[in-house]
Amino acid sequence: MRRLAELLQSKQISSTEIVRGCLERIEETEPVLNAFITVDEEGALAQAAAADRRRAAGEPLSPWDGIPLAVKDNISTSGLRTTCASRFLRNYTPIFDATVVERVKRAGLPIVGKTNLDEFAMGSSTEYSAFGVTKNPHDPLRVAGGSSGGSAAAVAAEQVPWSLGTDTGGSIRQPASFCGVVGLKPSYGRVSRYGAVALAPSLDQVGTLARKVEDAAILFSLIAGADPRDAVSAGAPGFPVPVWDDTVVRGLRVGVPEEFFSSGLNEEVEKAVKRALQNLADQGAVLQPISLPTNEYAIDTYLTLVTAEASSCLARFDGVRYGERVEAADANTMFAKSRGAGFGHEVKRRIMLGTYVLSASHYEAYYEQAQKVRTLIKQDVARAFQEVDVIVTPTTPTTAFKIGEKRNPLEMYLSDLYTATANLSGVCALSLPCGVDSQGLPIGLQIIGDHFGEELVFQVAHAVEESVGRGTGSEV
Amino acid sequence: MIDRQDVMRMARLARLELSEEEIELYQRDLNSFLVSGRKLQQVDVSKVEGTSHAVAVIGELRPDVVGESLPQEAVLGAGPQVFNGFFKVPRIVEGQE
Repeated sequence: MRRLAELLQSKQISSTEIVRGCLERIEETEPVLNAFITVDEEGALAQAAAADRRRAAGEPLSPWDGIPLAVKDNISTSGLRTTCASRFLRNYTPIFDATVVERVKRAGLPIVGKTNLDEFAMGSSTEYSAFGVTKNPHDPLRVAGGSSGGSAAAVAAEQVPWSLGTDTGGSIRQPASFCGVVGLKPSYGRVSRYGAVALAPSLDQVGTLARKVEDAAILFSLIAGADPRDAVSAGAPGFPVPVWDDTVVRGLRVGVPEEFFSSGLNEEVEKAVKRALQNLADQGAVLQPISLPTNEYAIDTYLTLVTAEASSCLARFDGVRYGERVEAADANTMFAKSRGAGFGHEVKRRIMLGTYVLSASHYEAYYEQAQKVRTLIKQDVARAFQEVDVIVTPTTPTTAFKIGEKRNPLEMYLSDLYTATANLSGVCALSLPCGVDSQGLPIGLQIIGDHFGEELVFQVAHAVEESVGRGTGSEV
Repeated sequence: MIDRQDVMRMARLARLELSEEEIELYQRDLNSFLVSGRKLQQVDVSKVEGTSHAVAVIGELRPDVVGESLPQEAVLGAGPQVFNGFFKVPRIVEGQE
């Protein structure tokens, strides 16, 4: 992105040219990929023209002024349709910008469009979108992952240089891993969630996707920091783009949790991750076997909490203030009919599960119990970070699976096996490519850092990226 | 075991109209979910409090100042049925016109 910024600065390329390049690439690849729900050609070109005028006047808003991005379609964009990939919101246009959108606009980034996701971010494959599945750019018979599948595929296929996603249990990292791009789930509270449609407020974070570690860091620097409209971001520091220093690896204590290398892990994934770990050791890192014994409960804990919170959050979709309504003679029937018609299967399934675990007679046995197990998971992670600086794991147990392959919802939930722990404990985590399997499908490596430890995570990721030595494409 | 009545009760609580097929589907899903939920019940949590947020933010206050409000017209613009500056809903209180 630095090169692109230099070209813009020296007037060798214009924002309009970059945006046109993106739009052409989208036109060419979209019939196969389906990464976007809405492409805003007119708006993106208008924003690009404005960026070019600012450049001409010598008043760019930031070094990145005019470099376009894509935004996941559960993040509110003023005047631009925001559907959450739900039939319920298919015609909904917000009248305000999410804080992250406000911030990227303030830096001058044109928004090319809104990317596909699992409905209301509930899923791990983008198959649960009311707008069709997003295909993996490396193999269109396979999923791009999810729920930020559109954001990951759009970056991997070079439709856009970078994008925003959301991550509640792995929704940025898992698709980043499947599509071979870099994806960051920031620490809980580091980025404002204002205007991002809530799935599970105790877990949700907005994060960044890009083809290079540095680019994910640059975009993160534009959105990080406190926002009075999201109380949990109150203590959040901003994030300056790091000065890269690969010597941080020397003496770095890298935790390798045995539980993440056990049954269910694909052999080729294991091999690639272990090779990357060996590379770190060769550069002077100290690999330390650690144990996160409660990770075994992460998925069940996550599932209980996420369904409970989702069932409560989605109560607002009642057909009164926004979205689709099915008319009925009385209010309760109108709510039930509107919701029944507007939501897809996975959303209804989670609302049902969530309602069950929150209902008076089951609250203690399920919901409260899960909250307590969450405490144990948090304690495990906190204990680990007393001994190590970062934790390195595979991002997902397998590479991208085939579309339609996972029919059982519980099986689908297992693809978040290695990622949910970071959300439950609130720490930051990043996925980056560390190789490909025998079918040419990307393999992701996850680097977990302590709360607000993004700087170190990016530094380590940068060192890994250099050692893997695999550039994943040009800059549009 | 969760029976059909339980599913109907949850659907009523969640204000969700379900088809016959969906009732059967979610009955099956709820039951298989409970198997995994029960796994958690075997964990000893006697020594810990629950975590409600990843990072506790307690009593974070901001200055109480009047900010910019969204224009009423724009807010109502997203409503499927509006009338005279209000969101319109089916009658919820019985009485005379």
